[in-house]
Amino acid sequence: MVDTMPIETVKSVVREQLDVMQLREQFPVLAREVHGKPLVYFDNAATVQRPLAVIEAVDDFYRRYNANVHRGVHQLSVEASEAFENSRRSVARLLNASSDREIVFTRGTTEAINLVANSFARPRLEPGDEILITHMEHHANIVPWQMLCEQTGAILKVAPINRRGELRMDALAGMIGERTRLIGVVHVSNALGTVNPVAEICRLAKAHDVPVLVDGAQATPHERIDVQALGCDFYCVSAHKMYGPTGIGALWARASILESMPPWQGGGEMIQWVSFEGTTYNEIPHRFEAGTPNIAGAIGWGAAIQWLEEIGVERMKAHEQKLLALATERMERIDGLTIIGQAAEKGPVISFTLDGVHPNDLGTIIDHHGVALRTGHHCAMPVMQFFEVPATARISFAAYNLHSEIDVFLHGLEQARTMLA
Amino acid sequence: MALEKLYQSILLEHNRQPRNCKRLASATHRARGHDASCGDDLLIELTVIDGRIREAAFSGRACAVTQAAASMLTEWLQGRSVDEVGGGLDRFRALLENADAEPDEALGELNQLQPVGAFPARRRNALLPWKTALRALEASGTAAS
Repeated sequence: MVDTMPIETVKSVVREQLDVMQLREQFPVLAREVHGKPLVYFDNAATVQRPLAVIEAVDDFYRRYNANVHRGVHQLSVEASEAFENSRRSVARLLNASSDREIVFTRGTTEAINLVANSFARPRLEPGDEILITHMEHHANIVPWQMLCEQTGAILKVAPINRRGELRMDALAGMIGERTRLIGVVHVSNALGTVNPVAEICRLAKAHDVPVLVDGAQATPHERIDVQALGCDFYCVSAHKMYGPTGIGALWARASILESMPPWQGGGEMIQWVSFEGTTYNEIPHRFEAGTPNIAGAIGWGAAIQWLEEIGVERMKAHEQKLLALATERMERIDGLTIIGQAAEKGPVISFTLDGVHPNDLGTIIDHHGVALRTGHHCAMPVMQFFEVPATARISFAAYNLHSEIDVFLHGLEQARTMLA
Repeated sequence: MALEKLYQSILLEHNRQPRNCKRLASATHRARGHDASCGDDLLIELTVIDGRIREAAFSGRACAVTQAAASMLTEWLQGRSVDEVGGGLDRFRALLENADAEPDEALGELNQLQPVGAFPARRRNALLPWKTALRALEASGTAAS
């Protein structure tokens, strides 16, 4: 095939492919050994590893210009504030937000969802109103709504999934009604890998004038996100799923919506003027950022976004999808192995069970091959209940994973089976 | 190697053919033990007469370590006074936490679970049946479901 390509095309194909070995060199942790074996890190859906660009940005902040933000006139505070706000601009660019005013820094996706539940949804809910979510949500997009429903008398509705782990869109469409006040949906399921048709859901919702919140935690490292094209109203993300630090994330919402929302947590930074007679609140997005934020985290996140943009999310996705296809094909050939989640469109996540081997035991045995994978319910217990399994094992890929690592993993699977047989 | 020690034949044997793995119609005490993060779901049932455990059984779905621990524990519990169970858990915990500890005679076959101690992430599996049995005993009066 290459023989027939013009030389210029060949060159551009080579340029477009990810140089995985070169990429791996940027991740110090990938050089370590676990139980005397090279680390095979397949727990990327839980959190990915960090490249030097991020580690060094955080290190540089603490070494050279550590100071609080928006608080002082001194040089260090000016530099810290500038770097912090630069990161906000990077997040806005990443999501294609209209303005950095639309980016509220949070501790992560979970806090972003809780912010929307408490500041946006709560004042709008009457007893009997409905919040619609899906059966494949992470606990972070279930529990805040359950708590809110308990407190307001609203009702939580759950759109069903099919045996492949896909959303039943016909059923979902039928569940949007006059009392629906908000739809919460996960963009990419962490437990199943399913990529949901978020743009279509938003179109359905718009016809009923219902706002849509998207849990994007699992989508950002693998998909190019464009909140305008999706047509959603809230998009929630975590930095640590996309090569940035833990403890930092963001809520995106249109400025007009954020303007309509009351503050959630009170404290410093979120105010304009405080007296015992009354307090006036800061402008968006600062109104929602009470207290000293995770400054180093935000700065590290900015570096991660820049790094992602340089490598190219599309190139990373192409590599991850190859790993997904290869691993899926080989795992399907293993007797007694069941892949949980076989949606037509998937992120690089494979949840599975192996007859006769409890995921927990598999996790321990395969750890001794240097392979880090996740076992348990993946914070999606209703998904486990739907598939009638107590837990699954899960492998998930990032751009730095290798085809040869899949061989190591499969060898570990065989050993686990032999050991427990 | 620690892994082979963990999955030694006795543990696997208890996993494959667990003792007292059944429902207990005569149970006076029962409790469900759940480890949400790893998916263990265990029901411990005890028949207590005059302060003594006459019968102990477990049922549910769990990993090899929990299953073997429940199997060995239900054996150990038969005939014990309910007052001995709390102290037993303390001794068992000490065994897991100290890799060099000599076998504790009072624990009998449960000593075989000592290698679990080398896997901090798995200790909770070995402890789950104990904690569940204690909760069953704490539940006052006749069996709650």
